[in-house]
Amino acid sequence: MTVRSLIETYYNAQTQEFSEFSKTQQLESGQLSVTEIDQFIRNLCRSHLKSPQILAFLYAIAPPTAADTLQHNLLEEMGLDEAGIRHPDLLYQLMAAAGLSAQQQATVAAAAQDQLRSLCTDPLMFGTIKELGLSVLLEVTCFEWMLARLSSRLGQALQVHRGLSEAALTWFYHHSEVDIRHAEEGVDAVVNYVSYYDIDADELETILDITFRENVFVRRYFDTNVLTSALPTLEAAQ
Amino acid sequence: MKIVAATVFALQIPFVEAFAHSVRNRAYSDSIVVRVEAADGTIGYGEAVARPYVTGETVESCVEFMVNTLWPAVQQQDYPTPPADAEAAISWLHQVAMTLPKTPVATGSERMAIPIAWHAARTGWELALIDCLLKAEGHSLGHLLPPKRSTVTYSGVITASNVEQAVKVAKRFKQFGLSHLKVKVTGTDDRDRIAAIRAAVGPEPLIRLDGNGAYTVESAIATCQDLTEFAIASAEQLIPRGLPTDYARLQAATAIPQMADESLITLADAEALIAAQACQGFNLRLSKCGGLASTISIAQLAAAANVFVQVGCQVGETAILSAAGRHLAAWLPEVRFVEGSYGKLLLTQDVSRTPIQFGHRGQAPALTKPGLGVDVQDEVLAAQAHQTLRLETASMAPS
Repeated sequence: MTVRSLIETYYNAQTQEFSEFSKTQQLESGQLSVTEIDQFIRNLCRSHLKSPQILAFLYAIAPPTAADTLQHNLLEEMGLDEAGIRHPDLLYQLMAAAGLSAQQQATVAAAAQDQLRSLCTDPLMFGTIKELGLSVLLEVTCFEWMLARLSSRLGQALQVHRGLSEAALTWFYHHSEVDIRHAEEGVDAVVNYVSYYDIDADELETILDITFRENVFVRRYFDTNVLTSALPTLEAAQ
Repeated sequence: MKIVAATVFALQIPFVEAFAHSVRNRAYSDSIVVRVEAADGTIGYGEAVARPYVTGETVESCVEFMVNTLWPAVQQQDYPTPPADAEAAISWLHQVAMTLPKTPVATGSERMAIPIAWHAARTGWELALIDCLLKAEGHSLGHLLPPKRSTVTYSGVITASNVEQAVKVAKRFKQFGLSHLKVKVTGTDDRDRIAAIRAAVGPEPLIRLDGNGAYTVESAIATCQDLTEFAIASAEQLIPRGLPTDYARLQAATAIPQMADESLITLADAEALIAAQACQGFNLRLSKCGGLASTISIAQLAAAANVFVQVGCQVGETAILSAAGRHLAAWLPEVRFVEGSYGKLLLTQDVSRTPIQFGHRGQAPALTKPGLGVDVQDEVLAAQAHQTLRLETASMAPS
């Protein structure tokens, strides 16, 4: 098993687990209450409102071979590319359409800022930024992988079961398009990162295990935890 | 200082991963948090972890003892102000602890099984009172128990899982730079697990065992002999709580230092273990040993008898007990191993705003903020409590 296929195995497992998670299925089948759907929207916005800042961090530590891609993603998130769509604005648009007041939106933004703060204030478990950066890069690119596959389904669910307009759900439909490219580039970026920083197979597997010991989407979007089942290792697969 | 109200929160905070040892497999924290309010409005927090197989307390009996026995006693007291200097600290801690009854009042206690000691319940209240009284003066517990080291080094604990999972966790801890590892052993696949863990982490980390009483004296001796080649730093409570002479027989038959845990609950236990030369180490856990004052008494006995100490923890403890343990571990003159402060490594949500969790290499700084040094979030307590009892001086009936 190559580094690329190992990473893709984790991403597929995370995506499938999220897709099969009871609450995700209830969202798609219209079994969640409006309150639960709105909480999902809040959690999703909290998770992604500060994406430009996270990408800026990843851009700062990116190996030269991945820097251009990450810079492009960053500019895209900030609406500074040719499309000119500022992604956080799409999330505010979503919250407004779901009926969140300005104060409620500010609460979500404060929660997103708090997550950034935690990233800085929580004790670092890793020894260097190299390992922390890999863990963050893995999670971010795993989100792109999942959104490329599921975001239009999530958008559709909100359109049908929450009555939101297509315009309000641009974030989902936009991500289903751009993240197909991002997802592939994301795996490239991880492979380049692993190579540039001389991360050996054992270390990569351990950081994958640490990063994905829970399902990251369930944790971020539903505020609960689901443990990931055992996944193959490079050694075991060889 | 009078205490005018209190709230008892029986929590259920899910774990990120289930934690198993030979006695229990747990998936959530069932800590009991005590929140006391002083007459001047100062708030203090303490924490109890009831373990039927350790002190004999259950969550239910612990809460009942807190409400029916400890709260009536606490509201009668006018608590002394903490001393200005460390000289009088131990005596003040004992003064506070002595206000807490050790046996239940008759009412409501008939249906409760009598535990070895009401140590978890008393710890919850003792810590809440200490936190509150120190905060009222703007002092940290570190002011009374001045740290002898600026950082405390924590151990990782590998739960009783299969070999593959144990190796996975061992590799995580290696990545986190932990130099002390404790491995839960059960009598099944011990050799394979320890060999695989040693191979995964290399020769440097100190590995110790914890059996939670799963072995007979004979099987414990055989296990120690079988595992000696893996450079085991100590073996904790391989045999069940029982006669100190049984423990002494085990210690005499093996080169691995034995450490008493469930066998060490009271000061009398410590005296008996020392008299029998039963073991080389004591595991001091606040909620097991009855709070700071009594744990310090045991630690002082241990030091006088040349018995090494570990400051242990309760699986699932929140930042409150972890902070109290941090103060103790930083203050003790000699401490060989320290456990706890796992925070969100284990809990999906912790109660403190600022994390108490250790970082890389298992290191965490001595705490300096007032009281125990934890900024507890009431909204988290409210959200994670499955039972909340409000106690007020006007009416002792829980709401």
